[in-house]
Amino acid sequence: MMRSGEAKAGVLFILPFLAGFLIFNLFPLLYSFFISLVDYNTLKPSYNFIGLDNFIRIFNDDIALKAYWNSFLYTLIYVPVLLVLSFLLAVLLNRKFFLRPVSRTMILIPYVANVIAIAMVFSVILDPYDGPVNAFLHLIGIQNPPMWLGGTSTALPTIALVNVWQSLSFQTIVFLAALQGVPSELYEAAGLDGAGKWRKTLNVTIPLVSPTTFFLAITSIISSFQNYASVRALTNGGPGVASRVISLNIYEEAFTYNRYSYAAAQAILLFVVILAITIIQWRGQKKWVHYS
Amino acid sequence: MGSLLLSKKRETGFKPSTIIISIIVFVLGLMMIVPFLFMISAALKPNALIFSEPLKFIPDQIYWNNFKTIFHHEYFFKWYGNSIYIVVLTVIARFVVVTMAAYAFARLNFPFKEAIFFLFISTMMIPADTTVIARYMLYKSLHLYNTEWALIIPATFDVFFIFLLRQFFSGLPKEISEAAVVDGCSQFKIYYRIILPLAVPALVTMLLFTFIWTWNDFVNPFIFISSIDKQVVTVGLEYFQQQAGTDYGLQMAGACIIVIIPIILFAFSQKYFVEGIASSGVKG
Repeated sequence: MMRSGEAKAGVLFILPFLAGFLIFNLFPLLYSFFISLVDYNTLKPSYNFIGLDNFIRIFNDDIALKAYWNSFLYTLIYVPVLLVLSFLLAVLLNRKFFLRPVSRTMILIPYVANVIAIAMVFSVILDPYDGPVNAFLHLIGIQNPPMWLGGTSTALPTIALVNVWQSLSFQTIVFLAALQGVPSELYEAAGLDGAGKWRKTLNVTIPLVSPTTFFLAITSIISSFQNYASVRALTNGGPGVASRVISLNIYEEAFTYNRYSYAAAQAILLFVVILAITIIQWRGQKKWVHYS
Repeated sequence: MGSLLLSKKRETGFKPSTIIISIIVFVLGLMMIVPFLFMISAALKPNALIFSEPLKFIPDQIYWNNFKTIFHHEYFFKWYGNSIYIVVLTVIARFVVVTMAAYAFARLNFPFKEAIFFLFISTMMIPADTTVIARYMLYKSLHLYNTEWALIIPATFDVFFIFLLRQFFSGLPKEISEAAVVDGCSQFKIYYRIILPLAVPALVTMLLFTFIWTWNDFVNPFIFISSIDKQVVTVGLEYFQQQAGTDYGLQMAGACIIVIIPIILFAFSQKYFVEGIASSGVKG
């Protein structure tokens, strides 16, 4: 039953947000599709419809293709490392330990730090020649320590690890909430069946937190493709194009070269890729996600 | 969620393994903050010493000149002020608009309610990068570009917080508003006098996340603000980094001053962060 007074109030309450949402969220989305189909690729506005030309152009652009590939590799490193480490950390934090307030604060702090400040510190710490990390590695007898952000093959994994460090506490808290929701009777039952600690983790904990794992996998994959700020600040895509991810490529095409339509096409293709990955995961969840 | 990370587990009895775990967790915690310790340490050293004794965290003599240089920087505190101004206005605007909409979704019936909510939620998956060009053009034509409003107004309409608050508002007992309706209270009065005061924990969570995310945002100010004197701390810090060149001590001092605010805020309000993330860890 819908009372008219209540309905009127509901509409009034929702109206400010709805209006703003239509202008600042929905309109830009639709407008992005429009821009990607026209030839606004210079500083001078131009709106001639050119169909899918901007999209076809991507497939002949080696740098753009390399950027999509780099983003994919980045996700392939970032997401599994993040999920495994945050799960292990959550299991550890779910036990009893002393100095809880101090340890907890230290573990959570990276999440609130500023992306540029983080990039500045890591650039110095990981400096291949003079940085403290490599100084330490030399000290313990490693002759050729990695070049970190300065190496062609190490730049992308290094960025991924820096971002794992920053996001770790967020994911850990979500896992921890899931772990605390596992009924202790299940562990007791597994214990009666003679299961040890590892068996319990493998057969009770992992299946029971799998909806959380699934949720975190989906959200961290989506966010892993949007790493413009940290990549720009850490390597700016270098050395060469070794760490040029698609997010960086889109911003450069749009705001450095003013190829707005072409950049919009790349951005929409990125959205399509993310959507496809999400749908595949959604379909695949039957195989490993257990909903009780 | 109350027990989450915040209180000790019920387990009684003293086990040696507890000590080992305590040590492991503490060392992990230290490893997490090593970059910050390095940042502070380098900020308090003259530039030459940062690389000559990189593993020495506590300098023999504390060197304050880096901080003195920043106090005389022409923009640094202007950026700070701009950031605070933008954060405060975003918090206020978001508070008003989002709590009203979340209240309607949680506790009122109106036409197309489910459809509108679904529309909101379905846009959460769209990457910000996908719409950045369209937003850039929109803000230019609305004359928001290069004003603080380009950061404040669009940020007001954040679907994530509708989601978070709707959850919380729905959890409050239905009877309280029914009783108020019988007493002749208007919906606005119920929202304002009854629901909002009961939702303080969720509202504090929203406030804190808004503060941290706005303070640390790089992309939006970088794209939508073009004048250096109108910039905010994150983009300003990058500009400052370029100015400082190879003076890493000075760079680190700048970084210290900018991360200190969110860290202090966080240290005193962890509970709300942890509960906020745990109850609906959606945004990453």
